[in-house]
Amino acid sequence: MSRFFRDGGDSSTDSSSEEEEVYTSEEEEEKVQAEDESSSEEESDEEESDEESSSDEESSSDEEEGTKKKGASRFLQSDDESEEEEEEQSDDEATTKVKSAKDKRFDELESTISQIQNGQKINDWSLIANEFDKLNRQVVKLQDGSKAPKSYIKAIADLEDFMNETLAKQKVTPKKMNATNARGLNAVKQRIRKNNKEYQAQIDAYRKDADAFMESDDEVAAPKVVSKVRFEAPVVSAEQQEEDDKGFSTVDSRGKVVQYTPESILKHLRAIIESRGKKNTDRLEQIKVMETLNKVVPITPYQKIRVLQTLISARFDLGAGGAAQMPLDQWKAAERDLASLLEILEKEKDHVVVEGAEEWDDDDKLPTIPEGEKYLKVPGSVVSLIERLDDELTRSLQAIDPHTSEYIDRLTDEGSLYNTIFRGLLYYEHLRKDASLEVPQESLSRIIQRRLDHVYYKPSLLIIFFQPAQVVKILEENAWKQVSAEADSEITPRSQSGDAGKLINILSNYLFENSEGIIRARAMLCQIYFLALHDEYYKSRDLMLTSHLQETIANFDIATQILYNRTLVQVGLCAFRKGLVYDAQNTLQEICGSGRQKELLAQGVMIQRYSQVTPEQERLEKQRQLPFHMHINLELLECVYLTCSMLLEIPLLAQTGSSPDVKKRIISKTYRRMLEYHERQIFTGPPENTRDHVMQASKALAAGEWKKATDFIHSIKIWDLMPNTEGIKTMLAKQIQEEGLRTYLFTYAPFYDTLAIATLSSMFELDSRKVSAVVSKMISHEELAAALDQVTETVIFRKGVELSRLQSLALTLSDKASSLIETNERTLEQKTQGSANAFSRKDNRGGGQRGGGQRGGRGGARTGGNPQRQAGGTQFTGGALGNAVRG
Amino acid sequence: MASTSPATTNGDVAPANYDLVLKLAPHLDRHMIFPLLEFNAGRLKEDETDKAREILAAKYALLKKTNMTDYVANLYCELEGLKEPPAEYAERRQKVFHQLEKYEQETAKITELLQRDDVVNNLRSDKVANLEFLKKEHDVTIDMVNALYDFGQLQYSCGNYADASELLYRFRVLSTDNDKVSYATWGRLACEILTMNWESAMEELQKVRESIDTRLANNPLAQLQHRTELVHWALFPLFNYDKAREPLLDLFFNAGFINTIQANSPWILRYLTVAVITNRGRAKNAGVHQKQMKDVVRIVKQEAYEYQDPITRFVHALCIDFDFEEAQQQLVLAEEVLRSDFFLLAHADDFVDSARHLIFESYCKIHARISLKDLSARLGLNNDDAEKWIVNLIRDTRLDAKIDYKEGTVVMNHPPSSVYQQVIERTKGGFFRTQVLTAAVAR
Repeated sequence: MSRFFRDGGDSSTDSSSEEEEVYTSEEEEEKVQAEDESSSEEESDEEESDEESSSDEESSSDEEEGTKKKGASRFLQSDDESEEEEEEQSDDEATTKVKSAKDKRFDELESTISQIQNGQKINDWSLIANEFDKLNRQVVKLQDGSKAPKSYIKAIADLEDFMNETLAKQKVTPKKMNATNARGLNAVKQRIRKNNKEYQAQIDAYRKDADAFMESDDEVAAPKVVSKVRFEAPVVSAEQQEEDDKGFSTVDSRGKVVQYTPESILKHLRAIIESRGKKNTDRLEQIKVMETLNKVVPITPYQKIRVLQTLISARFDLGAGGAAQMPLDQWKAAERDLASLLEILEKEKDHVVVEGAEEWDDDDKLPTIPEGEKYLKVPGSVVSLIERLDDELTRSLQAIDPHTSEYIDRLTDEGSLYNTIFRGLLYYEHLRKDASLEVPQESLSRIIQRRLDHVYYKPSLLIIFFQPAQVVKILEENAWKQVSAEADSEITPRSQSGDAGKLINILSNYLFENSEGIIRARAMLCQIYFLALHDEYYKSRDLMLTSHLQETIANFDIATQILYNRTLVQVGLCAFRKGLVYDAQNTLQEICGSGRQKELLAQGVMIQRYSQVTPEQERLEKQRQLPFHMHINLELLECVYLTCSMLLEIPLLAQTGSSPDVKKRIISKTYRRMLEYHERQIFTGPPENTRDHVMQASKALAAGEWKKATDFIHSIKIWDLMPNTEGIKTMLAKQIQEEGLRTYLFTYAPFYDTLAIATLSSMFELDSRKVSAVVSKMISHEELAAALDQVTETVIFRKGVELSRLQSLALTLSDKASSLIETNERTLEQKTQGSANAFSRKDNRGGGQRGGGQRGGRGGARTGGNPQRQAGGTQFTGGALGNAVRG
Repeated sequence: MASTSPATTNGDVAPANYDLVLKLAPHLDRHMIFPLLEFNAGRLKEDETDKAREILAAKYALLKKTNMTDYVANLYCELEGLKEPPAEYAERRQKVFHQLEKYEQETAKITELLQRDDVVNNLRSDKVANLEFLKKEHDVTIDMVNALYDFGQLQYSCGNYADASELLYRFRVLSTDNDKVSYATWGRLACEILTMNWESAMEELQKVRESIDTRLANNPLAQLQHRTELVHWALFPLFNYDKAREPLLDLFFNAGFINTIQANSPWILRYLTVAVITNRGRAKNAGVHQKQMKDVVRIVKQEAYEYQDPITRFVHALCIDFDFEEAQQQLVLAEEVLRSDFFLLAHADDFVDSARHLIFESYCKIHARISLKDLSARLGLNNDDAEKWIVNLIRDTRLDAKIDYKEGTVVMNHPPSSVYQQVIERTKGGFFRTQVLTAAVAR
């Protein structure tokens, strides 16, 4: 689906460069179009709210919008980079003069402002509200390059005045505004108060002397932007940067020369930390400052640790806003910083970073190791940083189209991330060794969990190479290469690391013993998943059963529930590979029967037709999505599920089909629905997709044509994705043969008196011993009213077992009557707390004398589930009859 | 307990693969493993001296840590080929004697008290009050009570099971320490088993079971382990004491225990299967037996991936695959295995007979006409015997079958039960039950 989407986006990008010429020639008409645009403003507003929900769609939808509107608004909304790129392209192609992006923006700004002024003239507040919103958006983009433009300041100041005026007028005049107008006014009122505070200084300056302000030079105006700490233009900042490198001095935005010295470093840091999270702090700028701090100053380990910690957090803050993921370079830098932080910590053994350590009062003097203590404790949490790094990678993977090479490039970063996690793990192990530090077990567990999360879903067996533990092995090897030779992990000794199975086992066992709650459950699930992935069906199933997770899973968080679902599916697939059709179907039923596989496995967002989803929910849903490389192939899953359902359902259908009164037992509703739909079709063409194949195979199987069914199933292409495709196909062929035989017997038994085993055996190409075993089984389970004749090697079908309608109704009635009595007895027993032993007649009842009574004694747990077996030959109830009894 | 040597496998090729001693041993007490080893040694042929020696070594390793010094010394001599045991054994023997004496003195008073009628008559069911009473009247301290326990342990370790049992019994009457009481109960169970005092063993077993169910309810892992041990220990009474059979089968089929068997010790399935199959004639209630049989089949099927031996395979072939030839083959193997199993030796014939019944029963159920010759082969009997056997069977079980001598076939008659009959049967008890119901409501 994502690909689908993406394709649309791509093509529009391609076409955009062609359209470039159109834009440029139309540049002159821009003003005119801007007015058109205001009419389409509402529309674009709606679309914009969509945009906010997903940054990834933003660019594509922007571009689509652009095409729609012939260019004008396109420039407003597309972001910097693409803009500039296109700029260059158009430079090459176009001959007409081109304005710079900034200038264009300014033009836009101007037009918006004039719209607002128009609105003021005619007192149209809804228009003003819209335009004001637009204005604010535009100005944000402009600010990226420079400070707030003066025309903007003028506009908002004027607007505020006008608003106050209108409000005052409102109070006096009794005449009401119309509803839309009033709403618009309110919206503007609220927003403008908040907004104008930010620019208060500029506005004041403007109010004081409007003309002077408008004419004043940029350089003078800039410092007045008090809360904005910004470099003026990229070029300037680059120059400054160079200067910094040479002379170790830099100039802050107020023009003061800032000297970074080892003494003042912590002061700077403090200032940065304090401004963190506040509005309008330029994080990029802060990061730059800290980078210099880190690079330049010969500092103590303590300072270094502090700087790195703050730096990494600051980098993460960049990605904090809503759905936007962290920029790639920042991620890489954060990863490097984290690595160097760990390096320092490894080197300087007397400095430790622990959670809950006290803050040092480091303004005046550097903290030193206190008397009588071994360590200098620095507050912070390495594990949180690592977790954050991991999360950011996942987020960026979610956003990237998985079918591009970019995705693969990004995926390679997982290796270095894994290394970081591993080093973090080593570090925590080291900390744990010293009991005096009181490092909580939880941190260690968390970091191990992260490590486990990165390995559990990786197949250790790539068939092509016949080399076990391929992927994980490579990961591990690299990780070990990184750390110094003498370092060894206690939990996962080096010698064990080569084997993925062992590694997973060690990690999850450790977590299971040393943690609780969610981490424990997750560890368990990861292990089960891994086992199932590697065809250890029984082990994984037993673990799954002993974990008792199916009872408690509803209490866990959604991510764990998703993992549980994934595990369940993987166990089901594993059962299928083992040829255990029944188990596979049972296991997969819960996920695949729901029809919401995508959602349950977090592999795509479902479009919900009837329920309202708030954008908030949608965003959360998107965040939960798994990156593509962790996906379980849904088509394969469906194929397996349907095939299993077919093998179980078709004989059942044949069995119940003949007698109309039997309550229909349904194994898979989804399958039944599909089958019914398929049967309703008047013309059926050759099968196209997996579903068609299975449906046609079902039809063939129901008609006893097992060979055809096998062909259909075998021609499904997706089996190739399974390891050992041939084995699976043979297994399926065998199953189809057997089920075909059963179906045949069920369907055609009424039309035969006797059937030779040899005939059946040649018909289904099965061993005659196998045939008689299958028939025996059916007779014994009372599915078939027949008996074997050993002498002539035939099946003799008994006649007269078909019930008339009256007869079967009578049976049902008697069944219901006896179950009524039982219910009454049970109710009374409950009421009297079992003290009335009047009905426990179990002892005074003869063994097999009364078949009907026997059930009462057992509390009627299974009403009529098994026809009573009495001594002698009365054990037989015919096939159809047996089912009628079963009701 | 786990110190048994790994060299306990014996010589025969086929059954050796199914020898369970190694699997059973970790869950048994060393005193209980001893008879198993003894049995294995007894089955060796003359020329297998290597094996005999291995078993001897195993025995030695097993008993080294007990206080049965004389016997251990003898074993050591035999193993090393010495005439006189080394001096350290004499030393140890002395030490043990000293200890015995010491404990005897410590417990003399309380033992004497407990034998006096006037004291015993004053004891109530309240343990705390009892202890108070003894403290007040007779200066009994809690240490003296605990000495009883230690003494019992020492006696047990020396092989004086009867004495140990008595001591532990007394301890249990007086002690208020719940943990020690439960240990003492286990100890008594072991003593009773080893003295083959089955009735009281069954009593103790019941007590242990109760304590597992109640005391360990909060600790599933310990519960599992204790249940595993109990199941293993229960094998002794199960196959040696007929009256224990039904209650023990009930115990084994209890949900907690059956799960234990499935999860922790699937090899017990062999014993369970044999017990159920041989129980078929004896069971008072045919319904219960049928249910147990069904359960066994289900579990055998479930556990097939984890545990298989000829006995479970026989069940699998007969009741799940309906492959009679395979079942027949497995039965032959199973008999061999049974004859080489400590617990099952005495039941081999019984099992084979019951298994034949089982085969015949399901065979008849499925077939309408069977050739006599074929059937006799299937049952592992010759023609005349088979005929006799079938005639007996038909007479005993009122099987609806006839022998056609001329054709040499057995003809089954499976009359389809008529619908009317079914309706009648189902509604038969209704009136009576409703009457009972109204009577109960009226009360």
